[in-house]
Order: sequence, then structure tokens, then C-alpha cells
Amino acid sequence: MILPKFEYKSAENIAKAIAFYERYNGKIRYLAGGTDLIPLVKLRLSTPMAIIDLKEIEGLKAISHQGGWLVIGANVTLFELKNNNTVKEYFPALYESLDATSCETLQMRGTIGGNILQNTRCLLYNQSLEWRTARGFCFKMGGETCNVVPNARACFSNYCSDNALSLMALSASVKLVGPRGERKMPLEKIFSGDGRNPFTLMPGEILTEILIPMKRSKGAYEKLRVRDSIDYPLLGVGVSTKGNAGRVCVGGIGPSPLVYNLKDINESAFKDVAEKAYSDARPVSNTTLSPDYRKKMVSVLIQRASKKALQEGK
Amino acid sequence: MKTMKVTFHVNDEKVTLHVRPYETLLETLRERLDLIGAKEACGVGACGACTVVVNGIPLRSCLVLTPEVDGASITTIEGLGKDGKLHPLQEAFMEKGAVQCGFCTSGMILTAKALLDRNKRPTKKEIIKTISSNICRCTGYKKIVEAVEKAAEKSV
Repeated sequence: MILPKFEYKSAENIAKAIAFYERYNGKIRYLAGGTDLIPLVKLRLSTPMAIIDLKEIEGLKAISHQGGWLVIGANVTLFELKNNNTVKEYFPALYESLDATSCETLQMRGTIGGNILQNTRCLLYNQSLEWRTARGFCFKMGGETCNVVPNARACFSNYCSDNALSLMALSASVKLVGPRGERKMPLEKIFSGDGRNPFTLMPGEILTEILIPMKRSKGAYEKLRVRDSIDYPLLGVGVSTKGNAGRVCVGGIGPSPLVYNLKDINESAFKDVAEKAYSDARPVSNTTLSPDYRKKMVSVLIQRASKKALQEGK
Repeated sequence: MKTMKVTFHVNDEKVTLHVRPYETLLETLRERLDLIGAKEACGVGACGACTVVVNGIPLRSCLVLTPEVDGASITTIEGLGKDGKLHPLQEAFMEKGAVQCGFCTSGMILTAKALLDRNKRPTKKEIIKTISSNICRCTGYKKIVEAVEKAAEKSV
């Protein structure tokens, strides 16, 4: 597949990246690993005037401990993060989701920031321009309709990051830097709930850091997939517990993950969450598995992951 | 649109090219340098047929823009054998009959090479996990895994 025309610029620091954003009047895309972006550009789902490479920015490549937080630079690759000792020891849910992401080769290229900010997906959206033109444009392509659910008023595309789920289960926050300055917020606040434009990031903003509270946790990540490698989650469940409190995150269904807080963790509390998530989840026929099956698997995977977190004491 | 000057090493040879900013490394290797061992199959990073090793890391060259590899050191399947002798992985693939249609083979071998470079004696499980990054549509995985095991034994 041939790429459309665009310019390529490499930014040495965040300020330069934002300067490029302004120079091109916002018609740019930031590039990290490119494993999500390049296919989108090839399919003409994104048509930037310029691609601004953030890979050379030194400050985004480090993992450090700062005042009770593990601070992960957005350009740390998934493979490097997976092999980090602190992650293995303190955050088993994150380790498992990193290990479950795609395949080793793509883990070596894909970055944690890019993984979090990957676009939502749909069987009828991630297609070539010719295919989509023949079918007619949907909401997410700027059209007036949803091609999956007749008469729907919203976009049901799925958010497919494995790691955002485990990071939210671990109560992670993110740092964003943009033309209007810097801000920090809990990871779950970056989701708009609208599949057309799934993130609340302001124009030109760059995700620079992911911060996890440095507290030893137990947890697990369960993923529904058909191939065990190179595939996106058809449903993902991240569970993490610290002391008596816990968090369950369900993703891969719809544009925004579901988050549940538990004050007292025990088997029946997890069962309640499994039932609640089952009724909250609204899968539609936009993946290779049926919506009924994915819905049923929501409670199965929550129970599976919570059992691992409770019993194995990982 | 203006071209960009890019310099990198391919199979220990320094090359300087003027490329389009929207050119993939796979296009540069195949169309400008005549290194046609890396194949385009899916074109979106799902299959691994275009894998080359860049600075020791196996990369899907269909997802990499050529300007991104300025200054890098790249190994393709053409540069694996040295002094007229095949690489142990290439020999093992022949010996074990791990090549069927051959379309995935260069990607498989380079993915395996990057594994053996960082882990001299991988377990069978580790080999399977690494190799699962690449798709073989003849489904000849068993023999491919055996070939990597054989090459790992030989190189110790």
C-alpha cells in the first residue's frame, strides 16, 4: 500500500514539536512507533500535511521513580516496559497486558504513549478509501450514519488498547503538554465517550508521561482474542488490587472503557462487578466475534482475572 | 515535494539516498536498492513478511518511514550470509524443510536472528512466542520452530 504525500519532520524536544504543530496550522500527526498511525495514513483514514516524529526526544524515553510515582516516558517501548523489574514486581496486571499486546516484534516498536492514544477500531472503519466510499461514510469518517447499527445516533467503534485497561486498574495518571501548557489528569479522564473523536486531548497536545502510584499490587489481565498473537483485544479486562481496595477495567467494547471501584475485595464483590459490567457492556457486530459472545465473556473474564488476583496472590 | 537526504548502513555498506518523505523503508529497500528479500504482504504491519533488523531490533519495514532510519544500521536477508557461506539459520531452514512457498521466510529468519542475538539458547516456548510475530500462510510453523532450535544448537 502506498502512502499519500506528506512532509516528515523530526522534533528534538517538545517545544519544537508544538512549534511544528503551529507552523502547519494543526494539520499534523505526531509519530512515535507508528504501528497504529502508519496503517491509518495508508488507508487514508488520516491525511496529515506533515508527520512530526517524536522519537528523538530524549526526555520521553526514560523510566524513573519520582516522589512515590513510577514515571514512564511516553516513548518507552512496550517491550522495554515489559522487561522492567519494577513493573514485573509491583504491577502484575500491567506486565500481563504488555505481554498480551500484539506480538514481540510490534512490542519492540510500539510505545506506551502510542498504545494508549491508538484510534478506536471497527470492522467497517479500518478499510481502504475505495472500500469505504463504496459503502458510504459512517459517523467516524464524517458521514451521517453508522454502518453497523441502523439508525444509531452514536459511533460504536472499539477502543483496543490492552495497557490502558491495566494502567487504569492501577489508578495511573497522564501528563499532557500542549500549546496552552501542561496538565495532569487520571488516565480515565482522557476518554470522551464519543467514538468519532475518542479522546479529550486538546489540539496539539502531546502525551509525555504516564505516572503509576508506587504501591505493590496484585492483579491480572485477561484478553479475549482469536489468534494469541498480533491481534487486538475483542474484549479486555484489567484487575488490580492494593490492600483491601481494587479496580476493574473493561475495554475493547465501545469507545470508552468501563471502570469499577471496589472498596472491599472478596469473591462476592467481584461477582457483583461481573454482573454489573455484563449489563453495562454494549457490544455490537463490529468485530470478528458475535456481540452476544463478547457480552457473555465480560463476566467470565472478570471472574477469571479476579480469581487470579485473589488466589494466586501475584 | 522535496526529497530528503538519508544516510544509513545496509548489510555493512554505507548508502546515501534522496528519498520521498512519505516513502517506507520497504519501498526504499526493494525499489531503490534492489534488496527484494523483504516482501510486502499485508502492508499494515500485521504479517511480518517485510521484517528487517534495524539497530539489532526486528522491524516491520512497511511501517517505517525511510527518513526515520537516518544513521541506522540495517540487516536484510541478503546480508545474513558472510563470505559465500550461509548463516546457520539459513542452513537450518534448508535442512529442516522449513521453507514452503518462501514468502514469509526472510521475515521469519530475521525475526529468529534477532532472538538468537539477544538470547543464545531460547527454549522452545520462547521460540514459538517470538515466531508468532510472523504469519506463515502455508502454516509450516512446526518445521520453522525446529529449524530455529537447530540453529540455536549449532551456534553454541
